[in-house]
Amino acid sequence: MSWLDRFTGPERARQRALRQVRPGPLHDLLAQPWPERTRLARNARLIALDIEATGLDPIKDHIVSIGLVEIVDMAVLLETALYQVLRADTPMPQDSAVIHQITDDRCRAGLPLAQVIPEILQRLQGGILLAHHAWVEQGFLSTACQRLYGAPLVVPTIDTQALAQRLMRNRNQFVAGTSLRLFNLRSYYRLPRYRAHNALSDALATAELFLALAADIQPDGDLRLGQVLMH
Amino acid sequence: MEIELIEIRDFLAARPPFDRLPDAQLNSLPRSIQVRYLRRGRDFPPTDVDGSFLYVVRSGAIACHALDGRLTGKLAEGELYTDACQLVTLGPRGRAHAEEDSLLYLLPCDTIKRLGETHPDFGAYLSDSLRQRLRQAVADTRNEDGSVLASLTLPIAQLPARDAVRIGPDDSIRSAAQRMTAQRLSSALVMDQERLLGVLTDRDIRHRCVAEGLDPNAPVARIMTPDPTTITPQTLIIDAINLMSRLQIHHLPVLANGQPVGMVTATDLTRYQSGNSAYLVADIAKAESLARLAEISAQLPDLQRQLAGSGASAQQIGDAICAITDALTRRLIALAEADLGPAPIAYAWLAGGSQARREQTSHSDQDNALLLSDAYDPASHDGYFSALARQVSDGLDACGFVYCPGNAMATNPDWCQPLSGWRRHFDRWIDRPEPKALMLASIFFDLRVVHGDRALFSDLQSHVLPRSRDNRIFIAHLAANALTHRPPLGFFRTFVLVHDGEHDDTLDLKHRGIVPITDIARLLALSAGIGAVNTRERLIACRDAGALGREMADNLLDAHEFIALLRIRHQAAQIRRGIPADNFVPPGDLSELERDYLKDTFKVIRGMQELLETRYQTGRLR
Repeated sequence: MSWLDRFTGPERARQRALRQVRPGPLHDLLAQPWPERTRLARNARLIALDIEATGLDPIKDHIVSIGLVEIVDMAVLLETALYQVLRADTPMPQDSAVIHQITDDRCRAGLPLAQVIPEILQRLQGGILLAHHAWVEQGFLSTACQRLYGAPLVVPTIDTQALAQRLMRNRNQFVAGTSLRLFNLRSYYRLPRYRAHNALSDALATAELFLALAADIQPDGDLRLGQVLMH
Repeated sequence: MEIELIEIRDFLAARPPFDRLPDAQLNSLPRSIQVRYLRRGRDFPPTDVDGSFLYVVRSGAIACHALDGRLTGKLAEGELYTDACQLVTLGPRGRAHAEEDSLLYLLPCDTIKRLGETHPDFGAYLSDSLRQRLRQAVADTRNEDGSVLASLTLPIAQLPARDAVRIGPDDSIRSAAQRMTAQRLSSALVMDQERLLGVLTDRDIRHRCVAEGLDPNAPVARIMTPDPTTITPQTLIIDAINLMSRLQIHHLPVLANGQPVGMVTATDLTRYQSGNSAYLVADIAKAESLARLAEISAQLPDLQRQLAGSGASAQQIGDAICAITDALTRRLIALAEADLGPAPIAYAWLAGGSQARREQTSHSDQDNALLLSDAYDPASHDGYFSALARQVSDGLDACGFVYCPGNAMATNPDWCQPLSGWRRHFDRWIDRPEPKALMLASIFFDLRVVHGDRALFSDLQSHVLPRSRDNRIFIAHLAANALTHRPPLGFFRTFVLVHDGEHDDTLDLKHRGIVPITDIARLLALSAGIGAVNTRERLIACRDAGALGREMADNLLDAHEFIALLRIRHQAAQIRRGIPADNFVPPGDLSELERDYLKDTFKVIRGMQELLETRYQTGRLR
């Protein structure tokens, strides 16, 4: 890390959050140093994560379910799969229940946010968040952290959508609005079709898409984090 | 509760061997998987993976090559790579790489082994033993469907028990006839205390006593059939029917632990079930015209279809079909002799090819020949035998056994020869093996007497067998010939993978499965001087004579049975749909399991062919 990084970008945001945070799992996560950009991606632990929510606004809407699965040594380890339905405090809007196929009854059977977030943070600690269109996941997790621990979530992140967009632009490929959707990118890489809008399926779908993108960006397998991290 | 990772669970559940696991195991299996992505061109299994895994191709394609670069197979979506979990590698060792970008599921070998121990079905599928897998293939295929004719595969003990009249060898023919009449039975067992000496039938009394003017007070021993062929209560009904047809007999004593317990007659068996081959054979014997024979013969495809659903083995079905072809041939000969008068000299009518091997499927081409005694005089006998051959051959054609396109028929003067002429033919084929002679090998080294003088044929065989066995050059040419039909490498998606760069749309079960094994069996039998012509009998004889390893022999037997059953089932389905039966199966019509088993059979055939290539240095002959 260059000396400049200490005062700009993610590292500065991390330091600031670390000063605000109350003790607990978020503190432990923020206390981890930012990974070196030259580090090989295969030596990092990536946490592919997907959030299904009642809408896209982290302030007004709330999380319905979270799914995650980890990548270690460029292999998706399904034993790490986690799927959690969260308890809703307000009735779910109709249309979102249709999309996610989770009813109010099942939501009430879920766990409260305060109980789920610590486990998610423990998983993220020392690893890298991987998500498709990652600002949604970052937004919801960070809002939850702010409420629970008084500081935002600052975590190294890889966004498969941004990665795909950059790759296509570099190759002078036309990028249509819908072609960057998870489903369409997967079919571009001829990955199998999964049931959409289940948080765990989408997390796994994102993880596999990342493996395909990584092999496309760096066919020899020596992909470095600097080539794929958002910041 | 919702099943996590349900897509992966469902994907595994749909294919063998995972479909054999109970739900609880299936539901937890995805958790032990790791998913990897292999870019096009990279080595497979991935070099950067620690530990041993079973691989399932989730998407993409893997190409496998032998060390010399030859393509040995391809894996597509849903296919397994199990080598790393097996103690012994089944296929030839080699290298593999991703031919397309591939997504792979890795299951630790430890998990697989544990599952195999607790679920034997699952374990058997992944067994190291090709032997075990092939045996399972045959069992799975035969057990699949049941139908009305399934009872043909029941043991004789299931038939209503019928006692037989027991008489002594010194009893008079008259007293025997009286007792048979009293009990309204057409046959009797001739016993010496508890020992079976022979069988006496109505026909024996008519032919050997009344017609001959023999004194009815003479002992029955004079006219009985001594040392009869017997069966046991465990003999299957279909085997009893086939045995009677083959030996042209109508009575089979049933022995339990060496003691006679009854008698089964042809009438019992035809009565037992209409539509079985015994019924058709009986109809044929009664037919008085060609039109009637053609009518009966038209039922052959339907019989094949019914037998296919009966759980009978391919050989049992082959025997049943052959019984009818033989009966038709004999009836046509009898009708011709009735027209032309009795033959002026001894002769034998020979069947060649699949009829001789008893491996026919309903209607095939006719291959036949006439073997005449050396008393043959062209000037005075030629007219008779060419007329006989013409009439029988035309009759077979009218019954659906069309003329041989290669003209290997008794109507061809070359194939209507006295014993000395046939000896010369064989000497020439053996001493100067030419492509044409080798092409005929599948017909003329597979001969069987259907009618006539068996001794003539024994004479010919005792001339031919030692010569073919001892002529190394002939055997080497035969070996090269046995390698002309190769099994495919396997399947790739909806294609049959032939070799690098070549795909077939359908699998030719005959030329890529059955013919290679038939050719191998012929070669091995001839090189060991064995006279059998049926493929199974050849392989068994070679195994028992030590000319073929036990394991290889058993594997070839199962491979042959499996492919032959698949062919019979394929044809049965076609007959049911009212389309002509053929040998071409689109890979899409095969189940995953059948494809896997077929790959095993291909492996067996390929292994044997490679062995022959080395043993006979066939590369130098081509």
